[in-house]
Amino acid sequence: MTVLSDKWPKMTSSDEFRFLSELVMTRSSADHTIVSLRDHHAGTTRFANNQVIQNVDARRGTLAVTVAFGGQQGTASTTDFTAGAIQDTLARAERIARMSPADPEYLPPPDPCLFPIRETAKPETMAAGPVKRLEYANEAIGHCRMENIMAAGIVSSAATAVGVAAGNGLFGYERRADARFSLTAQAGEATGWSAATHRSIDHLKIQERTLAAIAKSKRGRDAHELPAEHYPVILEPAAVAGLWAWLMRSLDAKSYMKGTSPFAGKLGQAIVDERLTLRNVPDHADLLGEGFTNEGLPSTDSVWIDHGILKQLAYDRFTAKAAGVETIPTLEAPTLSVEGSSVHSIQELIKSTERGILVTNFWYIRPVNPRDLMLTGMTRDGTFLVEKGEVVSAVKNFRFHESPLRAFQRLSAWTAPMEAVNSETGKMLVPAMVLPHVHFSSGTRF
Amino acid sequence: MNTPTWDEFAELALKRIARSGAEYADIRIQDSSTEHIEGEDRRIASIRDLHDQGFGVRVLYHGAWGFAASSILSLEEVPRVADLAVEIAKGSASVALEKVRLAPEPVHRDRVVTPYRLDPFSVPLEKKTDLLLNTMEVLQRQSGIARSSASLWARRDRKLFVSTEGTHLEFDLLAGQGDCTATALHEGRFASRSFNTPHLRKGFELIEEADLHREASRVADQAIEKVKAPAVDTGQYDLVLDPEHLSLTIHESCGHPSELDRALGYEANYAGTSFLTTEKRGNFRYGSRHVNLVADNTEPETLAATGYDDDGVACQRWDIIRHGIFVGYCTNREVAPKIGESRSCGSNRADGWGNVPIVRIANIGLEPGEATRDQLIADVKRGIYIEGHGSYSIDQRRYNFQFGGDAFWLIENGRRTHMLREVIYHGITPEFWNSCDGVADRSFRRRYGFITCGKGQPGQSGWMTHAAAPARFRQVQVIRGEEGS
Repeated sequence: MTVLSDKWPKMTSSDEFRFLSELVMTRSSADHTIVSLRDHHAGTTRFANNQVIQNVDARRGTLAVTVAFGGQQGTASTTDFTAGAIQDTLARAERIARMSPADPEYLPPPDPCLFPIRETAKPETMAAGPVKRLEYANEAIGHCRMENIMAAGIVSSAATAVGVAAGNGLFGYERRADARFSLTAQAGEATGWSAATHRSIDHLKIQERTLAAIAKSKRGRDAHELPAEHYPVILEPAAVAGLWAWLMRSLDAKSYMKGTSPFAGKLGQAIVDERLTLRNVPDHADLLGEGFTNEGLPSTDSVWIDHGILKQLAYDRFTAKAAGVETIPTLEAPTLSVEGSSVHSIQELIKSTERGILVTNFWYIRPVNPRDLMLTGMTRDGTFLVEKGEVVSAVKNFRFHESPLRAFQRLSAWTAPMEAVNSETGKMLVPAMVLPHVHFSSGTRF
Repeated sequence: MNTPTWDEFAELALKRIARSGAEYADIRIQDSSTEHIEGEDRRIASIRDLHDQGFGVRVLYHGAWGFAASSILSLEEVPRVADLAVEIAKGSASVALEKVRLAPEPVHRDRVVTPYRLDPFSVPLEKKTDLLLNTMEVLQRQSGIARSSASLWARRDRKLFVSTEGTHLEFDLLAGQGDCTATALHEGRFASRSFNTPHLRKGFELIEEADLHREASRVADQAIEKVKAPAVDTGQYDLVLDPEHLSLTIHESCGHPSELDRALGYEANYAGTSFLTTEKRGNFRYGSRHVNLVADNTEPETLAATGYDDDGVACQRWDIIRHGIFVGYCTNREVAPKIGESRSCGSNRADGWGNVPIVRIANIGLEPGEATRDQLIADVKRGIYIEGHGSYSIDQRRYNFQFGGDAFWLIENGRRTHMLREVIYHGITPEFWNSCDGVADRSFRRRYGFITCGKGQPGQSGWMTHAAAPARFRQVQVIRGEEGS
């Protein structure tokens, strides 16, 4: 069976991308020309009701050309890598640029630099194909069947060749691979969930995570309804990641400068508990660090929140230049850590809690008010009442109405950072933690 | 040698698959062009002209699916992908418990073309960028407006669908949209107000008819009024919801729960399941007698009215909620037989050649009633009139929802008075729809389209249109969407 290897259709190589980009550069009449490559080959085995419902494999190669005459710019892209199609793409980009008004924020491509070399393409993931994905899916389904649990989930793997090149000599090429597993175990009305994303498909820990989801679903039976009010909460890593993903998305520097950011005026000030630090750690083996960004900037190790103090914003190049920021930080491999002594496990957090709500995950988190970063969302796939250090019952799901800028002002207890991912966030390392007050505003019927 | 035609590629793939012993296969070859012009703060921030071509092959082998797709349309790649789809289907079949059985559908041979007056891809670029720059100028002319944006979007999909059953369908579909937004600052607060044309299958006439300049002036005025407006007091209010706002409420609280694949558990790991479980069909009171929600994939200009879906099933019109009772689902050929339906209602769509089609929400709309909008408002002692989209969130079975909006007006003693800010309402879906006691008449009916409806793993964007006339809901819980509430 076909694997993601150098057999046909092999991924676009560095030399091939260089050839394609030079083809564009030599024919371009623009002042500046940037060529971007994304050659993506991915497959997913999807299952529900304990059987495979979808089994797919797709390959899409895209080449994008951006050109500029002075500040006039245009972008065109194609999925056809033949010489004629690429020439047509360049012509379309040039036609747009010639007719577009000058952009006062336009900047030439970044200067060439040596991008960090990272281990972004694990061979075991690059080589994984439908057979491996089906094998892993069957493993998860098998465990669930043995426990009379219904399984729904995915196993996926992807390999991508990414490149960026410009007429000034800028050139970056990188192969990236990732694998994903997620499982919802259904025990009647109750559900339990677990998920993993990793550069290595061998690191998905299918059995461990499947058994965790099964245990959650079993424990979730006979859920009680509790009043919606303020509770101490124990947030598992996926739930922490869900809230922090929105905090990170709101760090846009231009909004900050224009006064339309929840952080306006707070750069250099404390915004969360003084023990919390948020870093980008692109070299961490458990994160999805990259060598460079789509714009052709190097990915960097950087501190965004240092002991609760906001240190960085997410800059576009124009805003960075206007603000005098020379190195634009990236945040594709976030790690949230807490200073001080942590406990070893979520179970220890439970043991230390007199009364509170244990939240496995949040779902459909959306901003309510961008000014104070008020968010809403639902608990999902495992919500429990903890009393006197033990999980005493499952509870029906709550809607929260809370700003992470308020909720994370004070932490009661925490673990070391753990791998976290959910269906609406990228991969992060975050602790599980206990927050003394989270506002649940309503409940649902299950 | 001449490049083979799309028909020749399709024949190459399907003949090869037929030899494998598969009981069914189809191929979709698609070439999509998207033009997206985005303006921000009085500048054109980006103009993108994106071409995306490829093909996807779907194979049903011994009752199990396989799908493979590629952006390389060549004599080497088409057989490789066809073979891969067969191999994947064989793998699926090796572990299948229940075999997929497709609901029958007549063989169709047709060509579907979106009618239009002005091709958006032929309108001079300067005309479009001038329109956006002038629109942003109107927005920011108002003192108090800190930021502005405006954009135009157009998409053309040329597609060929061929199945081993003999169905042969050609499509040349068009869609477009335009919008603008103003953000006002006042005493450290900021608030935005937007105007959106609906996403519709029309040409550039959609944009010309919308008159962005006129709307920009109104939007800027209302952004300033909104940021200075008092925050709402928490409590129970009667709500009168405008069609654009209702389009999202319908989408989330009726559209998604009426997808049969969700009700059957296919989406349990991601988008979720549905409280509209199969035993409720025909007997569950979803809403009041005023609530008639009809799926209509035949209405011209709407996004899901593509003639045929990606199962090759002809588009249809059917009831989802009739006089408040839940009666129908959105289905495809795979899931329709599971509830005893003899035919799919034709709601199986993929977001392009690279993804497998899945059940998607149809063009579900709220049928008009008999009142005027003023009559709905006149019978409200203390209420809120809500326009447009804001915050939205709903649980994975679609019971507990929470919505904001883009603009809010207090209704007192039957009159719409001043604007409010920070209005958020929440409820439980059937309780909410049972509180509906009036819908405005057909003259107030408007249509709004969605192109970013997320579902499926790998994720796909679904397209559909939701039409409504303003409707009134009694005693809905409203909270304030800011800290301290």
